[in-house]
Amino acid sequence: MHRLEQQALGQPQTVSLQADEDLVLVQAVLRRDRKATAEFVSRYSGHIYSYVRSRLAPRYEQVEDLVQEIFLSAWKSLRRYRASGSLHAWVMGIARHKVEDYYRERLRAPESIEDSELDPDTSTYVSTIHQVLEQDQVRKNTQRVLSALPEPYRLALIWRYWEKASAREMAIKTGKTEKAIERLLARARAEFRERWNHDQSS
Amino acid sequence: MTNLRDDEFMERIADAVELSESALAPADLKARLYSALVRQQSRTGRLMSLGETHAHGHQLCVFEQLVRIAPVGETMKSLNICRVCHARVLAEHMENAPIFWSGCPYVEFKKS
Repeated sequence: MHRLEQQALGQPQTVSLQADEDLVLVQAVLRRDRKATAEFVSRYSGHIYSYVRSRLAPRYEQVEDLVQEIFLSAWKSLRRYRASGSLHAWVMGIARHKVEDYYRERLRAPESIEDSELDPDTSTYVSTIHQVLEQDQVRKNTQRVLSALPEPYRLALIWRYWEKASAREMAIKTGKTEKAIERLLARARAEFRERWNHDQSS
Repeated sequence: MTNLRDDEFMERIADAVELSESALAPADLKARLYSALVRQQSRTGRLMSLGETHAHGHQLCVFEQLVRIAPVGETMKSLNICRVCHARVLAEHMENAPIFWSGCPYVEFKKS
């Protein structure tokens, strides 16, 4: 739609300007304009890096490799970008797929939770989410508990609850049965909650 | 029932907590990303020549300018000359590489 038509229809011009800018950048990168490629890296590396870090925490050693994979994959599929959404959303979509691939690979391996990874403390449930309403505290606790979980548990929970994948999707992507994923999630949830409660009580 | 409660508990936590971190991408990572992309671009086709790049309004670094005005063909001007530049090597391995001249993307990555 032409920008003037959008203005006539009362649609925000900024959306169109952003779309134009995105398209110009994409076309320049596709022409193998090295300076545009540098602009592409500058513009999106921060967002992607932050996102991948948050999804892989506390295993940061894979973050940079995964970010590079995301950029190379974006370059390979850049011709398919149609400007129906923002370039930022498109690139983040690729990032989400790559993170999902990472989860899939990690969870596909036979599950082995080291004894040392599990805290033997089995303190009882003493508080509910309602008792811990302070947002920042909840965030810190969540990050701390997630970081302390064995990797399969952590990845399964983030994939299921933050990335909103269904158990069925996770099963298909990991080649496991839905039942196996449900069992993994049940153990992960129980472990998360136990550690959460332990944090609250201590 | 216990599982359902655990599930609900996790749903609430996930709704309440955004996991994203506001970490800045390190400059050396940006340098490696850029190098990897340009390497990939030059493997699968010809980079835009430095003359065309300049004509598109981009600033070139001193070495790129030299190649741009040199009496060589377009093929030479399309080479990825950063491959042999010490600025790239330094930038890919140091967070605050001692490179300062304008028009160099590796210098720009330190600022952004």
